[in-house]
Amino acid sequence: MTDYGHDLLFGTFVTPTGAQAVDLAVTADRAGLDLVTFQDHPYQPAFVDTWTLMAYVAAKTSRIRITGNVLNLPLRPPAVLARAAASLDVLSGGRIELGLGSGAFPDGVAAMGGRRLTPGQSIEALAEAIPIIRDLWDTTTRERVNHQGEYYKVVGAKRGPKPAHDIGIWIGAYKPKMLALTGRLGDGWLPSMDYLPKGADSLPEMNARIDEGALSAGRKPQDIRRLLNFMRLDGGPAQWAEQFADLALNHGISGFILGGDSHELAETLAEEVAPATRELVEKERGAASQR
Amino acid sequence: MISLDPDAFAAEAERAGGTVVLHETDDGGLDPWTAAVWLAGRNDDVRISLAQPVAAATTEMRDKAYESLEILAGPRLTAEIQRREGIDYDSIPASLADVAIAPGDPRYRGRKSTYMRGGSPGLILRPRTPAEVADALEFASRHRTVPFGLRSGGHGISGRSTNDGGLIIDVGLMNDVQVLDEERRLIRTGPGATWKQVAAVLDKYDWAIGSGDYGGVGVGGLATAGGIGFLSREHGLTIDQLRAVELVLADGTPIRVSADENQDLFWAVRGAGANFGVATAFEFEAAPAAEVGWAQLTLVSPDLEQTLTQFGEVARSAPRDTTVFLIAGPPRQGQSVVQLYGMVDSGDPDTIIERLTPFAQTGLLAQQQVVVTRYADVMGQAADIGPGGHHGAGDPVSRSAFLTRLTPEFARDAVKLLNSGEVYFFQLRHMGGAIADTPADATAFAHRTPEFSVAAMGTSREGIDEAWEPLSRHFDGLYLSFETDQRPERLTDAFPPATLARLRDLKRRYDPANLFRDNFNIDPEVKK
Repeated sequence: MTDYGHDLLFGTFVTPTGAQAVDLAVTADRAGLDLVTFQDHPYQPAFVDTWTLMAYVAAKTSRIRITGNVLNLPLRPPAVLARAAASLDVLSGGRIELGLGSGAFPDGVAAMGGRRLTPGQSIEALAEAIPIIRDLWDTTTRERVNHQGEYYKVVGAKRGPKPAHDIGIWIGAYKPKMLALTGRLGDGWLPSMDYLPKGADSLPEMNARIDEGALSAGRKPQDIRRLLNFMRLDGGPAQWAEQFADLALNHGISGFILGGDSHELAETLAEEVAPATRELVEKERGAASQR
Repeated sequence: MISLDPDAFAAEAERAGGTVVLHETDDGGLDPWTAAVWLAGRNDDVRISLAQPVAAATTEMRDKAYESLEILAGPRLTAEIQRREGIDYDSIPASLADVAIAPGDPRYRGRKSTYMRGGSPGLILRPRTPAEVADALEFASRHRTVPFGLRSGGHGISGRSTNDGGLIIDVGLMNDVQVLDEERRLIRTGPGATWKQVAAVLDKYDWAIGSGDYGGVGVGGLATAGGIGFLSREHGLTIDQLRAVELVLADGTPIRVSADENQDLFWAVRGAGANFGVATAFEFEAAPAAEVGWAQLTLVSPDLEQTLTQFGEVARSAPRDTTVFLIAGPPRQGQSVVQLYGMVDSGDPDTIIERLTPFAQTGLLAQQQVVVTRYADVMGQAADIGPGGHHGAGDPVSRSAFLTRLTPEFARDAVKLLNSGEVYFFQLRHMGGAIADTPADATAFAHRTPEFSVAAMGTSREGIDEAWEPLSRHFDGLYLSFETDQRPERLTDAFPPATLARLRDLKRRYDPANLFRDNFNIDPEVKK
């Protein structure tokens, strides 16, 4: 039994095509979902640029929180990304989270003019990028930001703008090193159920690696929110709520993000699945606190 | 302008009216690109000018961002253009101001080149309506000193749908596909749609219109030239399915041509369309369609001459429902790899196998993929062209010809061509069948009776021309869409004498000033 005690978030995983993706985001917003998230594969010709889409969606929505799921770090240098994310957080009234990945598909990255890194190098690059991003967001000091890293060099950058809220850095991670990094440096973990090697059975071990990473850096396991993407789900809304509640109470998952690019599914998630899941989880959490 | 309060920022932008200029700042202000996109989403009218290029990891990412904003919010960015000589940028018609793309415009990079050709035009005009096409043509007629090309899908090999320093009328935004009459299977499509898009719409009705062999090709270029594809042997060329075309003539007149009205131009547009106007809509009669067999076979041939000869014999006796194209590369170490790909218009696996078996026996079958699928799925294999556009480079070097009959002598000469090292791509497109049901004088496309359309691509103009010449005795005519040789005699290969004479008469009537002069130009001044 692992429950990190976070409030539950429900959202959609949207393919970043043009107008259709905006419409799906608007539906998710109106339906009352917590999150709308966009995958980021800039080398995919049929997709629009995910950051541009997010900024546009921020203007077209009013309540929902928006994140990349996950943004491709090799094609989005941290200093630019930090400033863009902070700007959009300001413009959207604090609705931006930063889903970030070390970048799969090196051929695609190279096709967009990006540098080709080995998986090991891209993890090191991510470990360099996160402190840069956090420094640029930290406006409690006016001291210029300097980083002399192996992958990123920042010289005398001014800080800001100050984000409207504490932007979470949510990391797409699967392999042990990335999980440890998520625990050390991240605010959230954002993998896809379909890519977990043993499905939900992988969660205890993967959670444990994140927890160890957090503890090794003097942080607490609950400092890292655990979210999960689902590209497809069997059964109906009632079963999904049970499945989600089980994942929340036993594996500490507190974000449930559905793919499928369906308006109807987004509405069902908001109107049926989310309340039912919350009820199940609150009941159990309430009972646990009584014990 | 910088304001960290979103509502104040949006209000400021609104008060500024027209265009908002966003500057890069060094004071911890908003990221200009993020602010620009957000503003475009917040205010449907505001236009945005970026004082500096957007900060991005690479130029590819920057261009993708620009193009993405246009997809999401329409043309909203304005930019300092880099003027090319001979173009009066200040007199761009007002109707086209927001769809005119000049060098320096963020949208330029995604539209300057085509699938196979690198380009740097001085101005790209993207009209959305026939009236805007007329405005664009008026502008073009005032610019006779610079090159002028037409572009639909931007896939053309011969078509010069891009150039250096000239004008392009790009009809890509006119891409609606609609069903006009369900009973008669009549559809109407803009020139800017791709055949993949057309096939997807028709598939919902269990219809199809045969196009070329690749779904990424645009409607306009192909439907004014011919269209030799997987259903041609059964239903005829793509132009044979045309029932009407709407175009704008050189003087800006919109005109509808069909079997009932302006028949002379309807004749000309089907094979020589680019000489006569800018097509703005095509009306086709689709054929009923069900499942088809789709095959991709890889053969190894120890004797390419024998394989080609045998392929000719098999193709000659194939029923109309079967169309197989061949691609061969140069023999290596005594062996050639031959790709066969084609369609059997039947959903019955036994029929499909029966039809394909003789083709598969023309060499040693190394790999095969045969599936029962839909025509739309075959067209759907083409990659989508997203915001980045085409990024061809250089100029393609190709030759085209119609092969009257695939004889052993042709096979021998074709193998010599492949052995010359001058071609890296050699293709035979299976013709015959319904293509020949239409008389040669019924359309400006006159080459109705060849067995094959032959195309080759190389790297050196001189090299391929020299290696190709010995084959000419087997040929009668060429398909203008696949030919890049610009010597004047190619025009008479494309159009036999009677066809050419008739076309020239029409050219004198409809485009006497020779505005449409880009590709396979029929010069009205030339005497009979």
